[in-house]
Parts: sequence; C-alpha cells; structure tokens
Amino acid sequence: MRRAAAAGLFLTLIVLPFLLPNPFYVHIVVMMAVFAVLGGAWNLIGGYAGQLSLGHAAFFGTGAYVSTLLVNATGISPWITLWLGGAAALLLSLPVGAICFRLQGPYFAIATIGLGEVLRLLVLHFREVTNGAQGLTVPFKGEAPWQLQFESKFPYYYIALAMAAAVVLVTRRMERARLGHYLVAIGQNQDAAEAIGIDSVRAKGQALALSAFVTGVAGVFYAQYTYVVHPDSVFGLGMSIQIALVAIVGGVGTVLGPILGAAIMESFVQSTQIAFAGQYPGLELIVYGGLLMAVILWQPRGVIPWLARVFRRAAARRPAARGAQA
Amino acid sequence: MDLTTIVQALISGVLMAGIYALVAIGLTLIFGVVRIVNFAQGEFVMLGMYATYWLWKLWGIDPYASLLITMPLLFCFGVLVQRFLLQPILHAPDLAQIFMTVGLSVALMNAALFSFTADFRSVKTAYAERALHAGGVTVPVTRLFAFVGALALAGLLTLFLTRTDVGKALRAVAQDREVSMLLGINPRRMYLLAVGLGTALAGAAGGLIVPFFYVFPTVGVVFGLVAFVVVILGTLGSIQGALLASLIVGVAESLGILFAGADLGLVMVFALLVAALVFKPLGLMGQA
Repeated sequence: MRRAAAAGLFLTLIVLPFLLPNPFYVHIVVMMAVFAVLGGAWNLIGGYAGQLSLGHAAFFGTGAYVSTLLVNATGISPWITLWLGGAAALLLSLPVGAICFRLQGPYFAIATIGLGEVLRLLVLHFREVTNGAQGLTVPFKGEAPWQLQFESKFPYYYIALAMAAAVVLVTRRMERARLGHYLVAIGQNQDAAEAIGIDSVRAKGQALALSAFVTGVAGVFYAQYTYVVHPDSVFGLGMSIQIALVAIVGGVGTVLGPILGAAIMESFVQSTQIAFAGQYPGLELIVYGGLLMAVILWQPRGVIPWLARVFRRAAARRPAARGAQA
Repeated sequence: MDLTTIVQALISGVLMAGIYALVAIGLTLIFGVVRIVNFAQGEFVMLGMYATYWLWKLWGIDPYASLLITMPLLFCFGVLVQRFLLQPILHAPDLAQIFMTVGLSVALMNAALFSFTADFRSVKTAYAERALHAGGVTVPVTRLFAFVGALALAGLLTLFLTRTDVGKALRAVAQDREVSMLLGINPRRMYLLAVGLGTALAGAAGGLIVPFFYVFPTVGVVFGLVAFVVVILGTLGSIQGALLASLIVGVAESLGILFAGADLGLVMVFALLVAALVFKPLGLMGQA
C-alpha cells in the first residue's frame, strides 16, 4: 500500500512536466523542487537538531557565487562546480558550527542572520571581483548539456527532482542512522543527551555541514537555471526566511515535510505574484508575514503534525463505524 | 590619517552608541522578562521614525516634541503585540517563538513599503545644519541631541526599574518567574509592561534619529542587527551590559567605516559578535 503510493507519486512526478499547459508552470515546479531541496537541507539542522538558522542564504549564495565566478573565470563545467560550490558552503559552515554550537540559546539564529548579511555586504564591497550590486551573469551558450544549460526547462526539472529525491533519501538514512537519533535527542533535551555521552557540538556540526553542502549545491543549480546571481536575492534575509518557512510550513523534523512545504509556499508565492502583479509592492509579503503569524498561533508545531493527527483520528473512527453497522 | 579624523570618528561612534543602547535596552528588557528574542525590534525603530516623520509632515510637530506622542503610541502597540501575538506562544517551542517575531518583522516592513512606498524621506528642521566646532572636530547638534536624549531615557528607565515598586516587580519577574508569582506579582501584566516599554524605547530611538537619518521601509534592519550584537556582547538581559556594549559597538562601527570603507561598518560590528561568541560567549556581564 505504502509502496504503491510511493510508486504512484514517483510516476506522477516523472510525467508531471508533460501534463503542464506551458513553460511557466514548468518553471513553477522547478522552483518547487529547488525549494524542496533547500527546505530539506534546512530541516536537517533546523528540524532534527532544533538549531534554527536564519541565514541559510549564506550557504546558498556561497554556492551560487563560487560556481559562477569559477565558470566565468576558467570555463570549468558547472557539473564540477556543483560539487565545489557545495564544498565551499560546507567549509563556511565549519567555523559557524564550532563557534555557535558550544552555546545554548538564540545565539545560532542571531549569528546566522549576521553571516548572511556580512557576506552580502562583502560581495557588494569587493565589486572588482563580484561585480557588486549588478551581480554576475552566466554567459548563455544555448543547448549545452556539458555547461548545464538547456533550451527547454524539462532537463532542469529532472535535475532538480533528482536533487530533491536525493535529499529525501539522505534525510531518511540520517533519520535511521546514529546521527539522526543523536540529533533528535539533542533537539529534545541537550543536557540529557550530553549526559548519556553524545557529543552535541560534533553531531550538530555534522548536521550543519551536510545541510550547508546541500544548500550550496542548490545555489549552484539556481545560478545555472536563472543565469543571474544578485547579492540581494541570493544572500538576502528574504531568501533565508523563505528557506526556513518551507520546512516550517510543511512540518519540521519530518522527511516529507519540506516537499509539502515547498509545494504550498511556492504555489502561494507564485499566485500572489500573479494576483498583485507588482502593482502593490509589499502586499504579498504582508500576507506572507501575516500568514506565518497566523499559522504559528493556530498550529505552533507546523501543518504536517496537524494533518497526521487528523488522518489518525479519521483512521481510528473508521473501524468503529464499521463495528456499529455490524 | 591625522589624529583629528580619528577623534572625529570616535566621537561619531560614541554619539551613535546612545541610539544603539536605547534599541538594545528595549530588546534585552523584553528578553529578560518575557524570554522571547524579538526579531522585530528594528521594525519598531522604523515605526517610530515614520510616526515622527508624519507628525512633522502633516502637522509640523518638532521631532523631539513628537516623542511625547510616539512613545505612548508605540507602548500601546507593544502591549497589543504581547497580548495577541506573544502571550499565546509563551510556552511554545523556540521555533514558534522565533518565527512569530520574524513574521511580524516581515509584515511590518512591507506594510511600510505598501503604505509609504520605498521613497527615502527626511525631516528638515531649522537646526539640522547647526554644529559645534572645536579644534577641527565637528559635532552636529542633532547627533548630540540624539545622544543626550537617549541617555536621559536610559537614565529614566533605570530609575523606574530601581526606585518604583512596579519597576522592582518587573525585575523580580525577570529574575525568577515562579518566586515573583509567590510574591503576588501578576507576571502577565509585567510581560505587557516589558514589551510595551521595549517597543516604546525602540520607537524613541527612531524618533531621536529622524532629524539626521533617512526614513525608509527597511531602515530598521540595521538597527535590529546591531541591537543583537549589543545584547549578546553585553549579556542577554543586562541593561548595564547593553550600555557598555553599545559604546564598544558604536565606536567599532565608526572606526570600521573610517578604515575599511563606508559600507563595511556593519562587518566590523559582526566581527565583534564573532569575537564575543568565541572569547566571552556569556557577554561582558556574564557569570558562568
């Protein structure tokens, strides 16, 4: 039953772009897949380990900038910079983890906001290298699979989908491995976890490194897909919040939460953009912030746990109803 | 680089520190009493700035006189925020607490963008260009007024917290919620008071800088970020710590601007944050 549902979902996702009426909808599902990857990455550290990052844009932007600078300077294939961008983000995450995870409290959230903002300012400052506020562009090469460039949006969709699937598999593996159990224990009660011998700094550092790597890879993909990298968009606080929201709306600490969250958030963002069409600047983000507050007031633990409860209740009611008929 | 330039930068840093102190004291007061990190503190500064701007634009009210109107207004706003947004999630997980104020920040910033557009606005007063000169160093009077005003408000708050019964009750709740309840203090009222005061202080900081600072929807972001660094460096929950740390942060920022470039002041501030987290994670006032 479970396996059949998974196979059905898989097939639907494979044929999905062929069912969509025009490329704009394909673009939306590509962005959904990208945000599913990002939300999944955030979930590793924010959901399982309970360390709430407000600066994942730092890792995303690092991947995007490192890759685009390398591609433009050396002509190296983005299939290689995909890994290098991820590695750069991972390296960046190491000191952050080493410094922040010794401390309990809001320090990590605050330090990560700072990290994103500092990188944004540095990119704006060193404009000889980064081209400052204008950002960087990826030179258009037409249909060039080795340059990770395609004329159709379909290949991008399948690459993003493969990345999202990989994140789901990695998350599942981690959930069942020792690290996953360590993180859940730390997230619930760090002192108790340390008392039974878990090295919390190390476990959280590993989760952050993995999360940063995936986020950096997604940043490289995003740069290739959109052909432009802007400091304010890839390093901005807005990006960090959006990444976190995908995981939060779907439900933190669950394997499929970020996927559901990405589908919900991206449909919402795209439809408000169409509805307001830039006539009312700020309106969509007022709604965004307002909804965030409303969801927290209504379900402080996210939508997925609530859905799970609803389903469980419905499932519990069914046999009882059958019993009454008999 | 000559000495005068450096002295000038030091003075600018110290004068700005007063404003940072006010924003940070509000933040640390809210954290100390309610135990919630307010990620919308910078937006409260922005609200204070717009309120002051419109009072001047529509009715010609002097920015300093506006404090008498904007502070009570923002106090009420803070009370509403506590009552309807924070009170329901006081015992919720960190996630809900952090993202509640993040959501509030996003909503407020964009409400300002929606209502007032992204235009940079400024208040022009008769005294805006006036300055004191001494030995090649220039001190604009508006910056001096902001500093003096900030210190006066911080002093009044300290008097309130140490000399009045309500102030003492507020500190008691910050120290120990349960024990304060045994003493007959209603913590919910103290939460309302703390968030109200914290918001009013941020608003006052906004009002005090309007005579020399542009008003725009995202102006609060920098103040919020600086306030975070100040409260961590000065130990979360400590008002004296926030005063001392704001001095260090203000000077670091202005030296950063002088030596590294106008756009890198905030980078220096964050370098301080890293240093604080590495060497003094509990802050200057922290005891292990």
